[in-house]
Amino acid sequence: MAVPAVELQNVTKCFAKVVANANVSLTVGEGEVVALLGENGAGKSTIMKILYGLYGLDEGKIFVRGEQVNIKTPADAMARGIAMIQQHFSLVPTHTATENIILGNVHGLLSIKEHEEKLRKIAQDYGFEVPVDKPVGQLAVGQQQKIEILKALYINTNILIMDEPTAVLTPQESDNLMQFIKSFTAKGNSVVFITHKMKEVMEVADRIVVMRNGVVVDTVRREDTNETELARLMIGQEIVPPVRKEEDTTQSPTVLEFRGVSLQEKGGSRLLDDITFSVHEGEVFGIAGVSGNGQDDICEVLMGQKDPNEGSVYLAGEDITHASIRHRSEAGIGYVPVDRYRDGMVMDMTLSENVFLKWCYDKEWLNRGFIRQKKLNAYTDALIEKHRVKATGWGDIAGGLSGGNQQKVVLGREVDVGSKLLVFNQPTRGLDMGAVDRIHHVIMGEKEKGKGVLLISTELSEIFEMCDRIAVMHNGRFMGIYKNGELTTERIGLLMAGVREEGGAAQ
Amino acid sequence: MKRFNTVFYNVAAVIVGLVISACLLLFMDVNPIEVCGKTLGKILTDRYNLGEIFVKATPLIFTSLAFAFTYKANLFNIGAQGQFTMGAVAAVSISLALQDIVPTPILLILALLGSFIAGAVIGALIGLAKAKFQANEFLVSMMSTYVISAFVDYLLRTSLQETKAEYLQTDAIAKSAYLPNIISGTRVHLGLILAILVAVGVSVLLNKTSLGFRIRAVGKNRFAAELAGIPSSRIYVISFLIAGGLAGLAGFTEINGVQHMLLREFNSSIGSFGIGIAILANGNPIGCIFASILFGFLNVMGTTMGRLPGLSIPASIIELIEGIVMTCVIASYAVRIYVDNKREKQRIRKAGV
Repeated sequence: MAVPAVELQNVTKCFAKVVANANVSLTVGEGEVVALLGENGAGKSTIMKILYGLYGLDEGKIFVRGEQVNIKTPADAMARGIAMIQQHFSLVPTHTATENIILGNVHGLLSIKEHEEKLRKIAQDYGFEVPVDKPVGQLAVGQQQKIEILKALYINTNILIMDEPTAVLTPQESDNLMQFIKSFTAKGNSVVFITHKMKEVMEVADRIVVMRNGVVVDTVRREDTNETELARLMIGQEIVPPVRKEEDTTQSPTVLEFRGVSLQEKGGSRLLDDITFSVHEGEVFGIAGVSGNGQDDICEVLMGQKDPNEGSVYLAGEDITHASIRHRSEAGIGYVPVDRYRDGMVMDMTLSENVFLKWCYDKEWLNRGFIRQKKLNAYTDALIEKHRVKATGWGDIAGGLSGGNQQKVVLGREVDVGSKLLVFNQPTRGLDMGAVDRIHHVIMGEKEKGKGVLLISTELSEIFEMCDRIAVMHNGRFMGIYKNGELTTERIGLLMAGVREEGGAAQ
Repeated sequence: MKRFNTVFYNVAAVIVGLVISACLLLFMDVNPIEVCGKTLGKILTDRYNLGEIFVKATPLIFTSLAFAFTYKANLFNIGAQGQFTMGAVAAVSISLALQDIVPTPILLILALLGSFIAGAVIGALIGLAKAKFQANEFLVSMMSTYVISAFVDYLLRTSLQETKAEYLQTDAIAKSAYLPNIISGTRVHLGLILAILVAVGVSVLLNKTSLGFRIRAVGKNRFAAELAGIPSSRIYVISFLIAGGLAGLAGFTEINGVQHMLLREFNSSIGSFGIGIAILANGNPIGCIFASILFGFLNVMGTTMGRLPGLSIPASIIELIEGIVMTCVIASYAVRIYVDNKREKQRIRKAGV
């Protein structure tokens, strides 16, 4: 076998209290696409950040093209032709693409024009259409990603690491990315593709390295495997998705109704534009869309954090447009927010205190102003067991749990708070598959109990798997409301990008 | 185990601080061991001196609680001095006005309530400024102290000035308005018991009640608390109100228990010491009791050292000692985190990766 482009031997990395990588060995051949597949926290990003010089390693060796190297900073890595595109882009929004790309690579007098030309040429080679002279803050996320790629190409990268590159893209943009990867590797370059999505792996990877809990579980060739096997390797157990019954739920009584709700920033743009929909008993109503298109604003209006400029919100017939947050909880809305670190939990408090958070005004949990601690602790322990939270008991500090287990605690609490309506804003974002599976089962169970469910998600598979009806959101407005089954992935992708019909773009 | 660790680290830090301070005495060409021995001897053998420790500690318990309380809501109450002064004004006014009219127990209860309310009003105003106008509570509370100090000067020149109209001070309150002494031969008064009870009460309020929970929740994560229906602005007002009242109570114990009159620049440093003590106690109300007693002890030690014959040690040495002890305690937090992390890392290594 030829000398591999990159080889890692027995790399181990410990952070203050956890082992992130233990004895990880892997190789990346020239012209090869290697997918690093694993759940969140499996150590995929860490091992690549070591290769890119962002973290130091505790033990192990790194070889680049057969030569042992000591990579201490990203500059060392770049000098050897290694570039990494982070999950969160590192671009200066007010600078143009060109300025961003040459940042750190030029000295003295600059001729922006010259660099622009050079970039245009590189972009042409790969069929990118990127305006190199516009501030990147004005560009779509997919375009920003192309600029990140251009940045790598500009410094003559031949080993490109991409961390969850499709997380923020529409299906069409993802397709374009896959095309790029294929043409890039066809020229003898190598790509390491970090992801937890099986579909992408099967589409683009030559070899798949599966990681779990900081170690490499297995390395397989794409031809020799399938999604089921990969899933089993990734989580160590079989996953059975919940079954959704096909039924018409629109005839059931209405739980939640939005009537012409609009929200405008102070003197600024419209965040929500004439949103009208209803959620019925026993229905899962999904809102699909690329994140940042107004989904969070719908939640904030619904929970009373923001006052809409127009329109009204009804919960089981009651006008709650201007009701207090507390009143909404007491009226039976449970809410799993998108950012549980900020909005869902108090990380420095115990699990029972986090459960009590939503009940702290409820007489049932109080005895003349004193907390009924025993009842609360027993309830919390029951919740931990019921939702299979990996914790030793009610006294655990919330911040010490893994993301999936924290989310299960929030979920367990909100399911009990929301006697009528449950609102989930990207409930499975960044969670491992075991937790995702658990959460999906809980949502289905609550639906069967007759509660209304509003599910906001950027994962189309989740939307298709769970929802009875689907609204597609773009730029603060609904592109339409459809029954599940009416939409193909291609169609929903176009709607998410703001294209209503083939060929014609909606405003 | 965790609690034992905390106590261990704190006690060790205090001892280290005292040893370092003692070494400073070398610069004054005195033998630290001899001086400390003499000083301790004087304090321990003298009932009055021993009592003074607790007399000094009493108001400090209140002012440290006043800082510790808002600290739980992630707010900084730098204005305990002003709240204390208003409490003292209320206590002395009520005592002077009613001392010959109502019986002692009722008078004391009225003075107590009055001083709490006076401090609470000041506190609530600061909280309101924070809640309504997003004012920086640190600055507002700090500056309020200067405003109140000027206001009290004005009162001492006008309506509250003594009948002789000679000095800027009030008349002394009558014996019937004194807080009863609880240990004969000392100046220790009922206020000490009150302070300890209040500290325990604050601890219970914060840890066992729904209101205390809400205050802590807002302090630790305002956003999650708000989404749970807890209005953080209301919590800001409530916690500043209670904290102000706590500082106001120190005014009551100092007027009716120790000084028996109000003067200019009365006890002008207990506010800032309160902050230090609260930090020393890591915001724990029970810890505030012990930290206050430690500071009471250091205070008495400084005075006693200054009075040692033939040595001319300045009494201000005590400020140096207090500063060093506090630095040591705060440094001990960092040491503790470092040691814990290291131990954990070793444990993981041993467990065999």
